[in-house]
Order: sequence, then C-alpha cells, then structure tokens
Amino acid sequence: MSRSKTVKRRKNISVSHAKQIVLPALTKSVSAVVSVSNEEKTIAGVLGELERLPLQDIIIVMNGCTDDSFQMARKQSRAAIVHYPERIGHDVGRAIGSRMTNSDIVLFIDGDIVISAAHLIPFIEAANQGVDIALNDISPFVPPFSRQDDVTRLKYFLNRVLGRDDLQYNSLTAVPHALSRRAIHTIGVNHLLVPPKAHALAILKGLTVRAVHTVDVISNNRVRTENTGPESDVARLIIGDHIEAIKAAMDHSGTRLHLSRYSRAELAKWRNSL
Amino acid sequence: MYRNDPSPIVSIIIPAMNERRTITQVIREASKVHPKSEIIVVANGSVDGTESLAEKLGARVIYGAEPLGHDVGRSVGTESAKGNVLLFIDGDMIIPAVHLRPFVRSVLSGVDVALNKYDGPIHRTQIHRVVLSKHILNLVLSRADLKGASLTAIPHALSRKAVETVGAEHLSIPPLAHAMAVRQGLTVEAVYAVEVGRMNPSRVKIKGEDPLEQIVVGDHLEAIYWITERYGERGGFEDLGRIRSMVR
Repeated sequence: MSRSKTVKRRKNISVSHAKQIVLPALTKSVSAVVSVSNEEKTIAGVLGELERLPLQDIIIVMNGCTDDSFQMARKQSRAAIVHYPERIGHDVGRAIGSRMTNSDIVLFIDGDIVISAAHLIPFIEAANQGVDIALNDISPFVPPFSRQDDVTRLKYFLNRVLGRDDLQYNSLTAVPHALSRRAIHTIGVNHLLVPPKAHALAILKGLTVRAVHTVDVISNNRVRTENTGPESDVARLIIGDHIEAIKAAMDHSGTRLHLSRYSRAELAKWRNSL
Repeated sequence: MYRNDPSPIVSIIIPAMNERRTITQVIREASKVHPKSEIIVVANGSVDGTESLAEKLGARVIYGAEPLGHDVGRSVGTESAKGNVLLFIDGDMIIPAVHLRPFVRSVLSGVDVALNKYDGPIHRTQIHRVVLSKHILNLVLSRADLKGASLTAIPHALSRKAVETVGAEHLSIPPLAHAMAVRQGLTVEAVYAVEVGRMNPSRVKIKGEDPLEQIVVGDHLEAIYWITERYGERGGFEDLGRIRSMVR
C-alpha cells in the first residue's frame, strides 16, 4: 500500500475545500493536543489543518522522536512543543498534553494522519454543545465478527457490558476525539493514560459520551510492525487496558455491573414454563 | 435396561427439570457412550415424573423439589460422580452417542477439559452478547485459539484432575470454572463440534431482557473479576513501556 500517496490525496482534498470550511460559532475555548512519535512526513500537514481552526492552544507532545519531527513542527507552527527523548507512549503523551492547557474543550489527534479541519470541526462543535466525550464513529468500517481483530472485539464487549450497545465499536482508544474540561476533571488525568478505563469511567460517572462524526483513520492508518498480528505487543497492551477498564467498572458498580441479578432457580423456572 | 457400573470409568451427568418428553432418549444415547459408565440424573424442580422415569431407565437420580438450574445441577451431580471422566449433557437435548464419545475419548487420552468446538453464529456484525463474552474471556485468558468454546456449552467432559483442581462447587458458574481451568494449567481443548445453538429452546424474555443472557454475561464478568483478583488489575498483561509515573 502506498501510504504517501494517500496522504497527499487527503491534503489535496483539504486544500481544495479550504475556502469552504465554515468555522463554528463557539461559546467555549478549544485547544488541540497532538501526540507525535516520528511523524516527520505528516506532522506539517496535521498542523496545517489545525491552524485553520479557532484554537486557543496547540500542544504537541513528542516522545521518542529520532527523525525531524521536531524541526518540522517548529518551523511550521506556533504550537507549544513538549519533547520527551524517550518513548513514553501515546496515551501518556495525551494525558500530559491535557494538563498543558486550561481550555474548555480539548481535541486529541495523532501526528501520523492528516485529518482536514472540516473533519475536526464536528468534534469541537459537539463538545461546544455539551457533549463531554465526542468520539470518532468508526463502526461503519468494522467487518463482521468472524473477521474482527481482538481489539475491536474488546471495545464492543466493553460498551455492551457498560450498557452502551449504541456506542458499538467506538471508544476513547480511537482519535480524533474531543473532551470537555468537565470530562478531564471527572475522569482524572491519571486515568486518561489508559483510554478504555477512561472510557468506562466516563460512562459510569454519567458523562455524556457520544459518537459524533466518522473519520476513516483505519484504512489510512500506518501499519506498524508491532501492532499487527494476534497477540502482538500492542494487542497485549490493549487487552490489559480493557481488563483494567472492566476492573475499574466493577470497583465502581459491582462485579456484575448493571446486569440484572436473576437467580439460577428463577431462570430455571422461567425457561421451564415455556 | 441400562445398569450403572459399580466402578465406572465414565460418569454422565444430566441435569433435568420436567424433561419427561426427552429424558428417555437422552438416557438411551448416554448409555451407549462407554461400556463402564454411570448415569446421574439431577432431577430438580420436576413435577412431571422425570425422576421416576429416569430411575426406571436405570439412571441414578438425585432429586430436589426446588429448581436449581443446569449449572448448579451439574455441580451437584459432580459431587457424587465416581468416574475418572465426567461427561456433561442436558436432559432437554438429545445428542446421539456418536457425538458424545469424542469428548470422552479426548479426556481418556489426556485432555483435562474437552469442550464443544461450536462457536455460535459469528458471521455478522451484531453478535449475541453471550457469544461475544465467550470469545472475550478466552482472549483475556490468552487462549484466543479456543474462539467461542467454553464450559458454558454442553457437551463437555472433564477429567477427575480437572474436577479436583477447579472444585465441583465452581462448576455452578461455568465461565469461572473455565477461567480457573485455563489459568491453573489444565489442558483445555475444543475437541469436537456439536451444533447446540439450533437445539437450544427459544429464549424467554422478562421485561424486554433475556434473563439467561443477563446471567451468563454476568458469569463471565465474575470470571474476569477472579482473574483480576488473582493476577492483578491487568490480568497479568504488561504495560508495554507506558511510563505512568510521568502523570500524577
């Protein structure tokens, strides 16, 4: 797959639409947090799109960059850059970034995919209208269960045991997403480190969680060697994250969560009366 | 008439509640599974004479007036089973002996937990919560290769060692027993497929909910809880270089 071509095409699309974006009338302040790890090819495009939005702050959290990502970001943008020479992980980067701004809304994206401003606005608008967690609706891209990867299945399971079947495959594990300040406070920055856990806590603590707009981050995603195949390191990390999320949910609502506590004897009677 | 062997190799455990229509054929098939066997019918909450019918057919009957449910029935039956191989089926599902013997054969050749290889309907996007739960539990147990196979489904067979390791009482929460078996180092394999989905009685709904689904999914959560209690809040999965101390 030729990724650079895909990116170029996307950039062209956004440029041709440049004059057509209608900036939303926002009543709240918005910042963006960009997590970057060796993204010199895409970072300029990513920042270019952010510059077209009415943002209070742009915060780039770089970790483990050994390429020219830093130079590219500096010459391109007014963004504030937090730079960690070692790898600390995207999730840690996002959590740190969320601390570096006091805006009412924080938009989270990654440095490896150029998403046009037009496709970022719906997340900001939803948050501006009171959605605490505005998620990317990736469900349209999900194949039938038999062809789903482990991570996709876990996301679905988590939403279903939380009684949020409507969220389907959507989760804080996917970008872009926007969080209200209330969401960041309610969840706690230390829990943002583990996105499925933050997702579960958000739902259980009564925040408004909604899938608001579809951006195809799947077919354009860079195929990293470490996140392909069953039981890759990343898959194992995400399995662990979901277990941690379910545990946090159980600590909050009891082992069986919201599920009705029918007794086996009652069930036996009901089934037998058929 | 069938007669239970005094020192059986295989114990066949059949929970039954008002299963007069099917129990005769279920016992007949069970009796053909192995030459040295005992059949234990756990007749619970029956008012249709299931227990006397089962007794007349030569099975040992454990009778209780109160309904127990399939899972508790299996656990009760296990406590009095003498065989080294325990085969579990249901009183309401007639499965020919030829489809039961593979489970017994597997355990006789060294498998501790021989599961039904049937995965349920998975070629759709919106799958049943129970099917999803089974797959997820196996994933959490690092046994994704088992797919949807689980102690939740019959037929399945256990070795004596499996019963002793897991404990007969835990068989009343099958996903928990399943997790314990895998995590405590037993040989757990999906050995043979019997399509039980089609044979299952239609689901009953109470207030728009399927109570069986609620119980079974809840059981899977209990199993995950047990894993976190024993192996930590991440179930033993590492953090992959995530430096949490950077955010306090």
